[in-house]
Amino acid sequence: MSRKSHLILITLTTLIILVVSPSIGHIHTDNAELYNHILMQIRLPRVLLAFIAGAGLAVCGMVFQAMFHNPLATPFTLGVASGASLGAASYVFLGLSFSILGIDGSSLAAFSGALIAITIVFGISRFRSGFSPETLLLSGVAINFFFSSLILFIQYLSNISDSFRILRWLMGGINIVGYHDIMQLLPFVSVCIVTILWLRRELNLLMAGDDIALSRGVAVKQVRYILFFVTSLCVGAIVAVCGPIGFIGMMVPHICRLLIGSDHRWLTPATLLFGGSFLIICDTLARTIIAPAEIPVGVITTLLGGPFFLWLLLKSRLNTA
Amino acid sequence: MIPFFSIDNLGVTTANKTLLSDIRFTMTQGDYLCVIGPNGAGKSTLLKTIMSIVPASSGTLKLNQIPLSQLKQKSLAQHISYVPQAHGHTLFFKVNEFIKMGRYPYHSAFSDWSQTDQQAFERAVDITGSTPFLERRMQTLSGGEIQRVMIAAALCQQTPLLLLDEPTSFLDPHHQVEVHDLILQLNQQHNISVIEVSHDLNHACQHSQHILALKHGKTLWYGNSAEFMDTQELHQLYDQQFVFTTHPQSGAKVALTSEIK
Repeated sequence: MSRKSHLILITLTTLIILVVSPSIGHIHTDNAELYNHILMQIRLPRVLLAFIAGAGLAVCGMVFQAMFHNPLATPFTLGVASGASLGAASYVFLGLSFSILGIDGSSLAAFSGALIAITIVFGISRFRSGFSPETLLLSGVAINFFFSSLILFIQYLSNISDSFRILRWLMGGINIVGYHDIMQLLPFVSVCIVTILWLRRELNLLMAGDDIALSRGVAVKQVRYILFFVTSLCVGAIVAVCGPIGFIGMMVPHICRLLIGSDHRWLTPATLLFGGSFLIICDTLARTIIAPAEIPVGVITTLLGGPFFLWLLLKSRLNTA
Repeated sequence: MIPFFSIDNLGVTTANKTLLSDIRFTMTQGDYLCVIGPNGAGKSTLLKTIMSIVPASSGTLKLNQIPLSQLKQKSLAQHISYVPQAHGHTLFFKVNEFIKMGRYPYHSAFSDWSQTDQQAFERAVDITGSTPFLERRMQTLSGGEIQRVMIAAALCQQTPLLLLDEPTSFLDPHHQVEVHDLILQLNQQHNISVIEVSHDLNHACQHSQHILALKHGKTLWYGNSAEFMDTQELHQLYDQQFVFTTHPQSGAKVALTSEIK
């Protein structure tokens, strides 16, 4: 099948998932008004949030994979998401409550955390040219541990209710009511996605290596700063609202690359749509498997992602061996 | 004569090491310069500095009298193209996709593939003979095919100056000859000026017009290629004695490493 027909297929599937998933799962009421309320104020916003968050996470993962030339490099494996989590957890712990220009304080705290983490990763990757991907990933693991310990420490110091709030949020979830959180997220994810679509040619060349990108005329440093900044905003905003939902950024772009190839002109829209619908499916599973109770959606994505990570790791080992 | 490309007093220093110092030479349009020297002499660094991949610490580089430092990376790529050393780095592109990416410096975020782009692409493919493997993936190509594709991608940039970093180092003799012929053809028929880093002394002396011999980041010798075989610097360059014979077919002077310690 050609790239075009693959992309059309992914688009159609996404549309079907978007339309069908709000009505999956029983709604226990005969009252038409209440039924409508549940559908429009709970189910629909949830599906939309899942789509936006999934799309954002997948596209950010794709950018990291291209910039670091490694399928295992994502905002999660390199510690950017745990930086964002730390920011948001500190916000809860300090009992802060503010917003600037309509942006919630928790999002701002998460951005700051993400930016700090990405600065560290960037510093490490620039520390020496020819830095091996393994070392980079191991540094990511170290950064992850470091931030996770800080989060545990904050949790330990918090009272029971804050501590539970942080824990539940760390599991990742998209249970929201109404459209406030969506409006919080949409601007950042949109800016990020538009920027990435804008820089699709640059991404292709970055994936071929910095030397080749420079010799074709890409201003590598500037492009990289821009991409780091917009992905930090995007991951920060998503983590602040949904918690760290892991592995989407690693699995989705990789699957899409197998389906549609590495050209970011095609890969970006495919990853965006696939990521969105993938998180909708995971969330639909999360709220129906043990209904009326719910599984945190982060648990589901991580259960799928763990084995996938191992498979990728073993596969790349076998290829290089 | 107006110099086409000139380097004056070029130095490259990293945190604690001087990679290049006081490099100077000028090239006319259509010149073919071979940069030779032992491993670690700074040959690749020189090419990377010209391509602005490695920043110069001192000195000036001028192309048609314009200092390169005034050019943005994108306009630099309209004047100079670069074929990096073959690396293990796997490229997950189809050959035609990769070659077309060479048109990047002529595009903005919203521009479409134009007639000019298509012509440049077809010409690059045609000259390098890359047509048979256009639809294949980069990972499946052999060493010789990869080199053709890398050169085709650089040709797509339609630059008057082409930099090549050891284009034949990992090739078998047959493919070495093919790539040498291709470079000569680009230089002589298409009037592209070439700077090539090479380990092949005989190739450098026979095919290029000028030789720049680097040792420990400094110029050991610079001049007409035909004269290099007769100089003492040849033996100093690699800390290796050479003996000479004549090629039975071409009559060219050929250097062989000496067997006497």
